[in-house]
Amino acid sequence: MRYVLRRLGFFVLTLWAALTVNFFIPRFMPGNPLQALRARTFNRLSPEALEQMLTSFGYKPHENIGVQYLDYLGHMFSGNWGVSIGSALGEPITKIVGQALPWTLGLVGIATVLAFVAGSVIGVLAGWRRGGALDSVLPSVFVVTSALPYFWVGLLLILVFSVWTGGWLPSDFNYDNTVQPGFTSEFIGSVLRHAILPGLTIFITAVGGWVLTMRNNMITTLAEDYIRMGRAKGLTNRKIMYQYAARNAFLPNLSGFAMSLGFVISGAILVEYVFNYPGLGYLLYNAVQNTDYPLMQVLFMLFTVAVLVSVLLCDFATAWLDPRSRAKG
Amino acid sequence: MRLPKGLVAVLAAGLVLSACSGKSTSTTTATGQNASGTDGPHKPGGTVTIANTTGQTWPCQFNPFNPAQNQEALGFVYEPLVHVSVVGNSKETPMLATGYKWSDDLKSIVFTIRDGVKWSDGQAFSADDVAYTFNLMKQHPALDLFALWTGAGLSGVTASGNQVTMTFSKAAKPYFYNVADQVGIVPKHIFSTGQAAAHPDTWTNPKPIGTGPYLMGTCGPNNIEYTANPAYWQAGKPYIQKVEYPAYLDNAPANNDLASGKAQWGGQFIPNIKSFYLAKSADNHTWSPPLLNVGLFPNMDPSHAATSKLPVRQAIAAALDRNQIALIGEGGQQPAANQTGVVVPTFQKYFDQAALTASGYDKPNADKAKSLLASAGYSPSNPLKLSVITITGYTDWDASLAVVKQQLQPIGIELTVNDLAQQTFLNKLYTGDFDLAYYSEQNSGPSPYYELRQIMYSKNSAPIGKNATSNFERYHNDQADQLLDQYATADDAGQVSIIKQLSALMLNDVPMIPTTGSVDWFQYNTADILGWPTPDNPYAEPSPYKVPDNEQVLLHLYSKAAQK
Repeated sequence: MRYVLRRLGFFVLTLWAALTVNFFIPRFMPGNPLQALRARTFNRLSPEALEQMLTSFGYKPHENIGVQYLDYLGHMFSGNWGVSIGSALGEPITKIVGQALPWTLGLVGIATVLAFVAGSVIGVLAGWRRGGALDSVLPSVFVVTSALPYFWVGLLLILVFSVWTGGWLPSDFNYDNTVQPGFTSEFIGSVLRHAILPGLTIFITAVGGWVLTMRNNMITTLAEDYIRMGRAKGLTNRKIMYQYAARNAFLPNLSGFAMSLGFVISGAILVEYVFNYPGLGYLLYNAVQNTDYPLMQVLFMLFTVAVLVSVLLCDFATAWLDPRSRAKG
Repeated sequence: MRLPKGLVAVLAAGLVLSACSGKSTSTTTATGQNASGTDGPHKPGGTVTIANTTGQTWPCQFNPFNPAQNQEALGFVYEPLVHVSVVGNSKETPMLATGYKWSDDLKSIVFTIRDGVKWSDGQAFSADDVAYTFNLMKQHPALDLFALWTGAGLSGVTASGNQVTMTFSKAAKPYFYNVADQVGIVPKHIFSTGQAAAHPDTWTNPKPIGTGPYLMGTCGPNNIEYTANPAYWQAGKPYIQKVEYPAYLDNAPANNDLASGKAQWGGQFIPNIKSFYLAKSADNHTWSPPLLNVGLFPNMDPSHAATSKLPVRQAIAAALDRNQIALIGEGGQQPAANQTGVVVPTFQKYFDQAALTASGYDKPNADKAKSLLASAGYSPSNPLKLSVITITGYTDWDASLAVVKQQLQPIGIELTVNDLAQQTFLNKLYTGDFDLAYYSEQNSGPSPYYELRQIMYSKNSAPIGKNATSNFERYHNDQADQLLDQYATADDAGQVSIIKQLSALMLNDVPMIPTTGSVDWFQYNTADILGWPTPDNPYAEPSPYKVPDNEQVLLHLYSKAAQK
């Protein structure tokens, strides 16, 4: 119990620190929302009117920064997130985030889970037949793919599957603009087709890491005494592989996975940018470009909370699975 | 609408082999087919899809006063009083006003308001709505986007019968463009009730009621579909029944849809346009008329020793081969500019070729540049080190600056190019923290006056460290100020003469060094749709992001298929 309380206390402290940094860093960035709006409206409109307009939407450049900070902390917790003062001027933040969140969770979330599952299975097989055909080819391939930058893989896939094939697979957006959203086979098909290339990009770059760690864990575990014991007892290979070796080798990977889930919500910014995929990552890029303080704050807050919560859950899970970590914490 | 730009463009350039031919891409494609089509009336039908990079998904807010969103509403739903064609010698098309008359002292104007116009909810439109729109901007300064009540000196707007009278505290003719063309008239009966009346600045206006040719049909984050207004006051128009306006987050997908013909009306930079777009179909065309200058803003504040010296600026202006910059840097898609500051061919009648030739800036002259620089104490052996700031991601500007750098090196100027994030760049530009800045004034108007005023008027400047409105180089010349002040009361011939005198100052003082033109990006497809603006028939600014010119274009377009 003491362990749990300590973890919770640490969680609150980290959250507060992150929220504070999150408030001040954007304000230290060069530029401000007024300048961004002036640039976007071609310097055609009166700066005074634009400032008035931004003030109407809740931008308070002249208010005491301390007061703003306290207001901000309150608003983050109350969910009263305000409206955008960037490119979607006047649009409620909850609506903007609400529109983008499902796409990111769907695309990046599913791609991450698939990469994890596939990577772990391949790792188990490769580790089991150490030095076999699979093991000599795949790990070296995955060392390369896991080192490739997201956006580069994305551009390459666009070039091969979209440009060279004359638009075989769509290279942008989350679904075809001509399709009306709804539970129709046409819409769902369109969404899936549009998810193939960005999903594949994330899969290709993420799967390598899981394969390598799983394979190495597997090899270490296979050298343990209880594996030899299992063999001596005459257990089937399949049983040793899955129930004795893989289950144990899987633990470190699982905690890594819990943490990577936290990063899902921040989306793969570059992937979403390259594919024009209107998720949270793209939204963050746009918010920073337009110095949209309210939107930036909420996005950073969500990312921080997502990572912190998954780390916390991971801590709890470890405590539950492994008594040693509870003992003296 | 975003200029050439964007991370993806940079990255893609690394992957896609760019076909760098040395040949110029002509900005206009002359073909046998007349893209302007024939004069109406035409049968209704057809759909136009716009490919204009908006950089965000649609918020579905149609408040014409919201500066970030009013592109969705102006021109489609809300109309101006009079349309002024910036690219067509300021030709005027009466819209909600059938005519207007200035008083002799140019301090008041009377608009005659059109009869028989109805709002799209069936209520009658009247002069009251016009007066209400302008008075609303007085009550709520946030709505006064063009500073009419403060800067332009508007002092009263009243309606009586079908006449609206506007009075100004000073001669206000240069503001006609803002008053008559740029403000969309809103319905009093909507804006004077409920939430719209309480907060006209933040009201979202999800279902806009206007007088314009289109109604907002459906709107989602990815697409807006406009449908023809069956009760539009120009009987039989618009011909095009549906306008699709997808939200393109970046140039690449918008350009892909243009190349494939999925979208017919484009408005952004297409790299290698010849092979990427024009070669794909004989129906693909482009005409991007220049409206403003892109060039070097030299910091003329005495704290910047080199650039505040006239011979240094003259040397740079003399050394540049602007044709080469346009050809290599912009791939021929933006024409070369000239030192008079008058954009040609758009504003040909104000252009003083004789003065340009006499000044010697009409062609590059390295020897002259060298001797000018020598008089300032620099030479190739003792080079002047200057840095120029530009915006990162504006790849065509980077290419242009590479050419500039190459051209300045032999005369003894070592140029360092600093690519900055847009926000950082603007901060430095506004506050005067630069030697040279590569930029373009943003606000075009129906004559060179509007741009030259931004560049040369000392009231648009500010001390170093303070934000300048548009006179970023900190130029101050009483003669320029006087000329700009006189422009408001001058007649047409007088205005041409004033512009020519301002050009003379541009040649003498070199407050800004234009390199290329800044254009309205415009690509169009004539497979089914005709009626486009062309160099021969420049009835409106052609880019889809130019409001309310988009309305004029939409009123001219018609579908070939629907005529059978």
